[in-house]
Amino acid sequence: MKSKLKKHAMLISIIICMIIIYLCTLMGVTSISFVEANKILLNQIFHIDLGMENISVGATAIIWNVRLPRIILAFVTGGALALCGAAYQGIFKNPMADPYILGVSSGAALGATIGIILKFSSSFLGLNGIAILAFIGSFSTILIVYNISRVGRKVPVATLLLSGIAIGQTLSALISLFMIFNQNEMSQIIFWTMGSLNGKGWNQVIAVLPYVILGCVIMLTSVRELDIMLLGEDTANQLGVDTERLKKKILFSSSLITAAVVSVTGIIGFVGLVVPHIVRMVTGPKHRVLVPFSLLFGGVFLILCDTLARTATAQEIPVGIITAAFGGPFFVYLLRKRKKGGV
Amino acid sequence: MQRLMPKIMLNFKDVVAAYGETNVLQGFNATICQGEFVGLIGPNGTGKSTLLKCLTGLLPLKSGEIMLEEKNNAAYSQRERAQLVAVVPQSFDIDYDFTVEDIVLMGRNPYLSYRIKESRKDYDMVTEAMRVTKTLSFRKRYYNNLSGGEKQRVIIARAIAQDPDIIFLDEPTSALDIHHQIEVMELIRNLNLKKSMTVVAVLHDINLASRYCNRLILMKNGQVVVDGTPKEVITEDNLKKVYDMKMFIQENKLFEKPEVIPLRVIKETETYRSLRIHVICGGNKASQVLEELEAMGHHVTAGVVNQGSDDWTICDVLSIPMVEESPFTSISLEKQEENLALMADCDFILISDLPFGHGNINNLSGLENLSGSIYFHKNCRNNDFTEGQLTKRLSDIKAKKQLVEIDDHQEFLEIIKKLTLIENHEA
Repeated sequence: MKSKLKKHAMLISIIICMIIIYLCTLMGVTSISFVEANKILLNQIFHIDLGMENISVGATAIIWNVRLPRIILAFVTGGALALCGAAYQGIFKNPMADPYILGVSSGAALGATIGIILKFSSSFLGLNGIAILAFIGSFSTILIVYNISRVGRKVPVATLLLSGIAIGQTLSALISLFMIFNQNEMSQIIFWTMGSLNGKGWNQVIAVLPYVILGCVIMLTSVRELDIMLLGEDTANQLGVDTERLKKKILFSSSLITAAVVSVTGIIGFVGLVVPHIVRMVTGPKHRVLVPFSLLFGGVFLILCDTLARTATAQEIPVGIITAAFGGPFFVYLLRKRKKGGV
Repeated sequence: MQRLMPKIMLNFKDVVAAYGETNVLQGFNATICQGEFVGLIGPNGTGKSTLLKCLTGLLPLKSGEIMLEEKNNAAYSQRERAQLVAVVPQSFDIDYDFTVEDIVLMGRNPYLSYRIKESRKDYDMVTEAMRVTKTLSFRKRYYNNLSGGEKQRVIIARAIAQDPDIIFLDEPTSALDIHHQIEVMELIRNLNLKKSMTVVAVLHDINLASRYCNRLILMKNGQVVVDGTPKEVITEDNLKKVYDMKMFIQENKLFEKPEVIPLRVIKETETYRSLRIHVICGGNKASQVLEELEAMGHHVTAGVVNQGSDDWTICDVLSIPMVEESPFTSISLEKQEENLALMADCDFILISDLPFGHGNINNLSGLENLSGSIYFHKNCRNNDFTEGQLTKRLSDIKAKKQLVEIDDHQEFLEIIKKLTLIENHEA
């Protein structure tokens, strides 16, 4: 019975995910009745017409162009961050590692800050200039960090982490400096750094999705090597893993994913750090299971947080606040429970 | 032809390797052939583990080269190399909950590409590796919950699953109790004999190395000091060159292999006024008193001892001047005179715990004419086979001078210490 459950755990999880996506689409500040919402969804997805004449164009737009893309973006973002977190924690062998640890977030924030100050509003492929600058900022940060830590052909993990923190701090200082001299834009910059999915549509989903899919494929082909990496770099080498190549592969693919996601949504913290830990408590350390479940659970976690962010109060709360406010205590609870031998 | 010329598995040619500026390996040379069981011995910091790092490609060579199965080691990819060489590290812990089977299965990694699933054959090899190492019964348990000996067997199972030609062990027994030490060594010997795997093991325990390896390489300062069979390598001369300490070597009669008995490294911290002390011995009980007197810095002499006795061995090892007699022969007049001459200007003479018979009673002849103080171990009376001669000799000595009787050797050592200790605070 138990092994059967285990076998189908992935399938069951996917179904639960779909149900949550569906239920969250029905919830929102604008009241659209249950029947109406279902009619809109059936019509848009399956082109089944169950009498659309009484439903306003506005309601259709809210369900189809506002809520659904936002929820899907939340899923993709949460999943991507958790996935990168799981991979980073694996190659760095460090439980504190998260997707932002190498300064990707600070780089994105600096790019966004510059964009906001310069009122850089032109857009490209449906993305606004701020997002594009954020992407450039985050990706160049990772290149700088990588090249600072490189010793010949090798990249020692400890140096990488430390230079990531150093560069991240420097960039944060720069952002603060920019804010002091541009106090009018300060609130907008702060809002950006807190992360939000507000006002995001299909364009953003389409912009982010290719990177995330590419990243998933790379991660899934590296699961065995990531497992072995947990035994330490020397042992991994002796077991035939080219650790330098693996590090490069994981580093660049997850930087690409994180940069793409962050530039669209801002800095949503905690998902990438906590979700892999929570999943690991249940699935164990094997990446073959850990990576896909982190993706699913990260996605669902962010959907739930974002639903709360947009429905809890009239004034929308940045989702980064919710993830931290709920993720932190929940994680502490799990750690305590684990210590007592509960999980 | 093949039998005459075994395949060369590993060839180290003038290997120099360094961490930063300090050269750890300074021209290491060795050729290792198929089926050999080679032990690398030598003190800490001589580059044994560095050699392993070079071999596994973790540390690039400064100069020289390593040929692995007739191809330059540097030309292998990690994956190719891992198919040929498996490494068993010192026992290690993992921060994550992997089961025994997970760990052993990792040994198959060099043969698997990006395919996600392992094949039937991989699982068969893993099962076989676990069977050989007797780890099959706990395949589903977490590695972290195992005992030290079990963990080491799991790691050896992983190495077997790698299906290598060469297995390299880095101090595989250093964290284990004697039961598990022998278990691991026997397991490795079986791999060597039954699967004709070439084994290279870094070992700190010279006696284990001597017992199991058919060839030893003694290293110091990143170079080979001696390379040969255990009998050729484990000699006092060789080991003294490498380990700065007192030791002696005897043949272990059970295994017919040389065995090291380490004596001491630290010199006496207290300083003593040096005396001339002669110990009359020749049995098997005076080793300790001889060694301690010598360590205190006295001029120790001994006699007359039969060659091959334990007391003779320790004098030989410690280079204590002595009068020797052939084994199982009575002490000749000539040797007795020689012994008397040696005792002539001694400050103390100790008649140690020793059985007396007709063959050695003349050890005590003429003692009454010497100037040194004489101490006598009472227990000699219990091993007196001289039909009254011993008692007579003792009373002859007593007639002329004082004879102090002691209960054990320790008492004598205490007396000497008290007499000769130089108080530190005066100095």
